[in-house]
Amino acid sequence: MAENEYVIEMLHITKVFPGIIANDDITLQLKKGEIHALLGENGAGKSTLMSVLFGLYQPEEGIIKKNGEVVKIDSPNDATALHIGMVHQHFKLVDVFTVLDNIILGAEDTKMGFLQKKAARKKVQELSEKYGLYVDLDAKVENITVGMQQRTEILKMLYRDNEILIFDEPTAVLTPQEIDELMAIMKNLAAEGKSILFISHKLNEIMAVADRVTVLRKGKYIGTVNTKDTNKQELSNMMVVRPVQLQVVKDEAKPGDVVLRLENFTVPSEVHKGNAVKNVSFDVRRGEIVCIAGIDGNGQTEFIHGLSGLSKSSGKIELCGEDISGYSIKKRGKNMSHIPEDRHKHGLILDFTLEENMVLQRFRESPFQKGGFIDRAEVRKYADRLIETYDVRSGQGPITLARSMSGGNQQKAIIARELDRNKDLVVAVQPTRGLDVGAIEFIHSQLVQERDEGKAILLVSLELDEVLSLSDRILVMYEGEIVGEFLSKDVTAQELGLYMSGAKRMDETEMEKVEEAELKAAKENTEGGSKDA
Amino acid sequence: MPKTDKNGLLKQEKQSSKTLLASLISIFIGLIVGAIVVWVVGAVTPEITAKGTSDGIKLILFGLFNTGRNASGALTFGFNAVNIGNMLFRATPIILTGLSVAIANQTGLFNIGAPGQYLIGTCVSLYLALSIPSDKVHPVLIWLIAFVAAMAAGALWGAIPGALKAFLNMNEVIACIMCNWIAANVVTWIFDESNLKNTTEGTKTAYIYKTTYNNVATGKMGLDKIFPGSQVNGGFFIAVLFCIIMWVIMSKTTFGYQLKACGSNRHAAKYAGIADKRNIVLSMAIAGALSSAAGALYYLAGNTEFFWSTYQSLPAAGFTGIAVALLAVNNPLGVIFSGSFMSMLTVCGTQLTYMTPFNEYITDVIIAVIVYISAFSLIIKMLLNKRKEKQYDKRDGGELITPEKAQDEPAEAAGKEA
Repeated sequence: MAENEYVIEMLHITKVFPGIIANDDITLQLKKGEIHALLGENGAGKSTLMSVLFGLYQPEEGIIKKNGEVVKIDSPNDATALHIGMVHQHFKLVDVFTVLDNIILGAEDTKMGFLQKKAARKKVQELSEKYGLYVDLDAKVENITVGMQQRTEILKMLYRDNEILIFDEPTAVLTPQEIDELMAIMKNLAAEGKSILFISHKLNEIMAVADRVTVLRKGKYIGTVNTKDTNKQELSNMMVVRPVQLQVVKDEAKPGDVVLRLENFTVPSEVHKGNAVKNVSFDVRRGEIVCIAGIDGNGQTEFIHGLSGLSKSSGKIELCGEDISGYSIKKRGKNMSHIPEDRHKHGLILDFTLEENMVLQRFRESPFQKGGFIDRAEVRKYADRLIETYDVRSGQGPITLARSMSGGNQQKAIIARELDRNKDLVVAVQPTRGLDVGAIEFIHSQLVQERDEGKAILLVSLELDEVLSLSDRILVMYEGEIVGEFLSKDVTAQELGLYMSGAKRMDETEMEKVEEAELKAAKENTEGGSKDA
Repeated sequence: MPKTDKNGLLKQEKQSSKTLLASLISIFIGLIVGAIVVWVVGAVTPEITAKGTSDGIKLILFGLFNTGRNASGALTFGFNAVNIGNMLFRATPIILTGLSVAIANQTGLFNIGAPGQYLIGTCVSLYLALSIPSDKVHPVLIWLIAFVAAMAAGALWGAIPGALKAFLNMNEVIACIMCNWIAANVVTWIFDESNLKNTTEGTKTAYIYKTTYNNVATGKMGLDKIFPGSQVNGGFFIAVLFCIIMWVIMSKTTFGYQLKACGSNRHAAKYAGIADKRNIVLSMAIAGALSSAAGALYYLAGNTEFFWSTYQSLPAAGFTGIAVALLAVNNPLGVIFSGSFMSMLTVCGTQLTYMTPFNEYITDVIIAVIVYISAFSLIIKMLLNKRKEKQYDKRDGGELITPEKAQDEPAEAAGKEA
């Protein structure tokens, strides 16, 4: 019994890349039927360790045992033969194939060279019922939701009779509801005797679903604990070097004049023919963080693209008293900085150096431009200053290629660039997506600081934690409309969830009430301000 | 970590010297393969003696410096002004088409329309150079008008696929290929209808007059003194000047920064308020103007004749430009050398035909091999970069990677994985 307690044991694994020890003597023991979380910051070595288990890397030292016997895993094929399956963070599905085709791909039954799908369909249906994994077997992957794609990936593992399931940051792409569903599915799988390895840096999820947690930090093994014997603060302390404050430290907002005013703002959808944002009207004032909350795909992306000028919109946009609705992106940028949702698509030019990215909007301005030429020395000076102020870490400083930087530092670089432009309105879309706790804390404190300096911050976030802890006022967007307005101190996550899912909506008088409360605060502040002056 | 400044610069130099090395290796392998081809052809052809074969190999490698044969029949080598002059003359158009392709590549566009733009440049420059009467207008002025008009026409011609790409999101490669054939047919038609056909030399069909017929020719700018007896003229200086100007624009100015930004990531450029559509049209227009300048310089030389019945073939100078740009890794200054090298091979080929029983097409084999190898090294580099990206996505481990190793580590890891 003692010998078979663990299905998988990775003992003293060391994996060295030239110049860096990604895994330094790490031991991970997975019990049968448990959900075992692997926790660590970005770059802690979680993915490397899982890649070793999945046969993508060969470790320099250490052994892997399955059911007490030493095994050698040289390739993902070996891993599959040992019934180890992995759901990658970015799904490996063929978009134009149906769900069923994707599930059986690579493990097809054939008779005389012809596919035998009937049996496969039956088996998949059984699995899907047994574990509550609802999928539409005949839908094409390109047409189904991310959550269903993930269930397809899980079914793919189950179809191959995998016993050990690896989930690499499975919740990063899901909406809050889908996350809950996934948690339930994982528990279900574990109850059926499957053993699950769950890579994450989200403490809430780990506490909710995992039995045990192994923590890695900078490639080293820190420890393994039972979740019921620990708490979030302790885990967080194990994960990062210094204890991290999970709450955003900020004073009460002191809203001032209106910076951004939207009236009947409408933006066409980027996926279908209708409008994604419908007749939205609201104000954002100096000294407050207003957050647009909502489930992904309710018009937030279009809203931001319409506001920043990336796509066409109708209605009135008044920024600092000026109607900018007909302006180009460049002209809108006069009083607006924008931290974009997709840092690789919009935020950075990955093949440019860090310093070139730092002046992406400002290269025409003095002193970076002299007579049509770029003053490299000035650009370097400016980049050096931003790098130091915002602690952007990279291999070679200002001349590092943006592509070679870590996600967190790429984001910091964008934040540095946007905040340093010192505009009255800061639009931040998902500013902390995919980042570790340290980076999140940093970015939040920067945004709060901007607010305290009298900027208006418009935040778009899908993470309820962030919405509640960072913002002063919350607008819930559902199917392209604002269905609720709250002061964040007066609302709970549960309440917001009801509005976000469309179960409840406010009428205009209720929203006006919230606005009045806001206005009252604003008035007091401006009066207080004039008294001071 | 601003302190890595110095190391960083060294690193960049190292990177570019690596690129140079890759190009030199491709050239070296190409020449070796060429020599092997000569050897094999020599071995299987009974008429060719062992001496003939060894002469062939010598000419492939050092043909540029061949000065004929001495009394005993052995090849002699030394400074050959005619060969070098001709090399520079033939390099002029391919340096410019190479520059055209390189600039487009730097801005993320593949200008396979260089042959068509080259033809448009040829057509406009010749038409003007031959039809403006030189007894009324000074020939130098005619030359200038013809040259500038050719570039303007090329810019417009190049802007067509650019505009199709920018506004209708049509692939520039397809649009360029269509434009090539339209150009080939339009040019044939224009000259067929014109009265510029060479009728004084009855044996020639489908040629038009040389520009000297109208007293127009590119100035020699002293090069005829250095390389007497060759075809070289000041056009080479103009090509080099254009390369330098483009290098300055691309690497030093805000305009070049915008073009490159649009080329590397159109979305990010747009987000930053750069007019992405305008820049795509502009970079294709620049590429078109450069390719047209290539055609104009070659045919305004005065000693070249244009075979106008082009409707079923496209000028090789346009396609060679792709090879020149590839070998120069899209560096505007690099194309001066890669273009000169390519034309040196052509000169070597001519020597091979004159001096040995081999024919000049062997140099085409060499060029093909070089292009293959350099394309291959480019592909390998691209693959490595892709891998690198994947690795970073996977581990996202910026903090852990030490500065010195940050560059090499993922590539090595990828190598191991393979």
